Amino acid sequence: MIISAWISIAALIWCIAFLVSYLIGLIRKGAPKDLSERSGNTVKGIIYSNTGAMLPAAKESAYMHLPTYTAGMIFHIGNFLSLLMFVWIIVCCCCNISTPAVLALILAALLTVSSLCGIFILIKRFVNVNLRSISCFDDFFSNIICTLFQIAGICIMLSFSNICTYTDACSADRLCLMNFYFIVAAILFIWMPLGKIKHLIYYFAARYHLGFFYGWRNTWPPKHI
Amino acid sequence: MDTITKEQRKAALDLMKANLASDSKFQTHLNACVRCGLCATSCMYYIAFKDPKYIPGRKVNLVSSIYRRYFTPEGKYFPSLFNARNLDAEMAEEMVDCLFGGCTMCGRCVKHCSIGVDVSYIVKKGREMLAVMGLVPKTLQATVDAAINTGNNMAIPTEEFVDTIKWMEEELQDEMGDPKANIPLDETNRHIIYTLNPREPKFFPLSISAMAKVFYAAGESWTLSSKYYDVTNYGFFNGNNEEAAKIAGYLYDETHRLKADKLVLGECGHGSRASRWEGPNLLKKAYDFEMTTALELMAEYIRTGRIKVDKTKNQTLCTLHDPCNLVRNGGLLEEMRFVVKSCVANFVEMTPHGNDNFCCGGGGGQLAMSEYNERRLKIGGIKADQIKATGAKIVITPCHNCVDQLMQINHTYKLGVTIKTVAEIVADALVLPDPASPHDNPADTAAETVADPLHTDSNSSK
Ligand code: SF4
Ligand code: SF4
Repeated sequence: MIISAWISIAALIWCIAFLVSYLIGLIRKGAPKDLSERSGNTVKGIIYSNTGAMLPAAKESAYMHLPTYTAGMIFHIGNFLSLLMFVWIIVCCCCNISTPAVLALILAALLTVSSLCGIFILIKRFVNVNLRSISCFDDFFSNIICTLFQIAGICIMLSFSNICTYTDACSADRLCLMNFYFIVAAILFIWMPLGKIKHLIYYFAARYHLGFFYGWRNTWPPKHI
Repeated sequence: MDTITKEQRKAALDLMKANLASDSKFQTHLNACVRCGLCATSCMYYIAFKDPKYIPGRKVNLVSSIYRRYFTPEGKYFPSLFNARNLDAEMAEEMVDCLFGGCTMCGRCVKHCSIGVDVSYIVKKGREMLAVMGLVPKTLQATVDAAINTGNNMAIPTEEFVDTIKWMEEELQDEMGDPKANIPLDETNRHIIYTLNPREPKFFPLSISAMAKVFYAAGESWTLSSKYYDVTNYGFFNGNNEEAAKIAGYLYDETHRLKADKLVLGECGHGSRASRWEGPNLLKKAYDFEMTTALELMAEYIRTGRIKVDKTKNQTLCTLHDPCNLVRNGGLLEEMRFVVKSCVANFVEMTPHGNDNFCCGGGGGQLAMSEYNERRLKIGGIKADQIKATGAKIVITPCHNCVDQLMQINHTYKLGVTIKTVAEIVADALVLPDPASPHDNPADTAAETVADPLHTDSNSSK
């Protein structure tokens, strides 16, 4: 494997170590303690928090901002796909196998859509005065690095699918491409536990706490009136 | 504010550190916001002012930026990359302005946040930091001090309170045509100890007689305390948990002193929340007596047939304002509608309503902070528009703080509506038994109430 691949694996280990430490920190502090008399069902509350409460119809942040919400969802799907793809590419490099051309093309197409969504959200953050006023470097960089990771993934998939004909000269280009991909991945993995992408862990914890809170008080699941 | 001292900063950071060490919810919500800004349009402050400083995510980030600056390596070494901010005078001033003066802790944005960040919880934690720094707005602190020093937040002297109750008792006896109809004070061994918002004896004594009428009709065994009757707890809003615990403790101790089985929280959203949900946590013990809200009690009376109501007695078109602390943060969405719909013939919902309802604008201690009166009335415009759109002539709400704010909105926006509590609506709809009939006299049935299997702890003296 090329050295940049090893660097990205090391970065991934750093990332996982941090994220796991956050998770352990949360688990160690234990489940919420509430001495008041429970009125509802916390399990149902938590389930609803992760299902019905996340439906676009249940949230103004979704139904009042449909283009952004849709772009955000697609972008996030692209991010998860890119992470899975990273593992697959490492496996390919280790085992000297390649991605079937059709699959590579499909993945590249999906990532093209999701990275365009990432760019749309990034532009919105630059252009929208409100959004800019609550943003810091982390907000811009986190978006850029994720989008770049997806774009790098597209390039790799296209090269896997042999859309270009590889000559010896092209191989050097391909190596360059691989280096680019793995370096972007490494930066992403280093940044992930430091910047806001760590909401990868905290999102689930937030949904849990919210479900517990509203479930305890019998607000969730909501009643039909 | 020119400066904050080292001691003030240390006190705030020590508190944050202690919370971080023990509370996974705090750690979670400090790290979960992605600054998407999509919550802006869920917050009435932002809707009313269109100022980015009111975006809920920004309020969260005031607190979380301190966390990043002092408790994360990235924030310590690269503060500008991660919006990690020093806790200095400028920051403290911004926090006071936004967390005290720019949030009612209604939780509307929480439900609509794209992630699920508990904004009002973080605002509360921010207020706690400001409280240990001694930066609670003076007017709010004065309200808390009054409650601590006198037992009620309006510092009503006991004699004045007792006089008001006696006056209301006479009115009740006249209205019921029954000299036995009473408003018991400081009676021991009653089934219920009932509590009030001090605004009731001070400004709206008729709401006391309305609830007394309901108790009378139900033949309830109840009492008020002449000293510790205040259901409110502004300690929940000033961020000083010790003071909040002390105030919650007054009701806890008084329930024990009067040997009541059940503490019934009068019509006050935050007061009910402060006792029902926060009280045991503030006092660090589960309560050893039953506790419920007046709303739930009235629902029980109607359901079990203990009181009879006739909705045709209330013909005027009514709408309902959902107090945030009873509905979104208290789960009483259905109960409230059950009671109201049982008592009024014509009812229309606001849009939005229920868990999505907008705060009246008086929550979070805003009514106690005259510094922010203008803001409070401006955000109240959203509620005014909601009310207008219903075409209703009566607005019902089971919260005296909401009543107060709604009355001011009514005046400011010239709505021409009447604001009523749920007890008043129930009292208006009551089908009263005939006091002349020996089998029908509720004052006599008080003794029978104790035999009710629901009240197993009662004894014959009640
Ligand atoms: S509080 Fe929620 S909706 Fe608001 S900016 Fe943060 S993540 Fe987005
Ligand atoms: S809790 Fe209510 S007032 Fe506070 S930021 Fe959220 S929506 Fe606005």
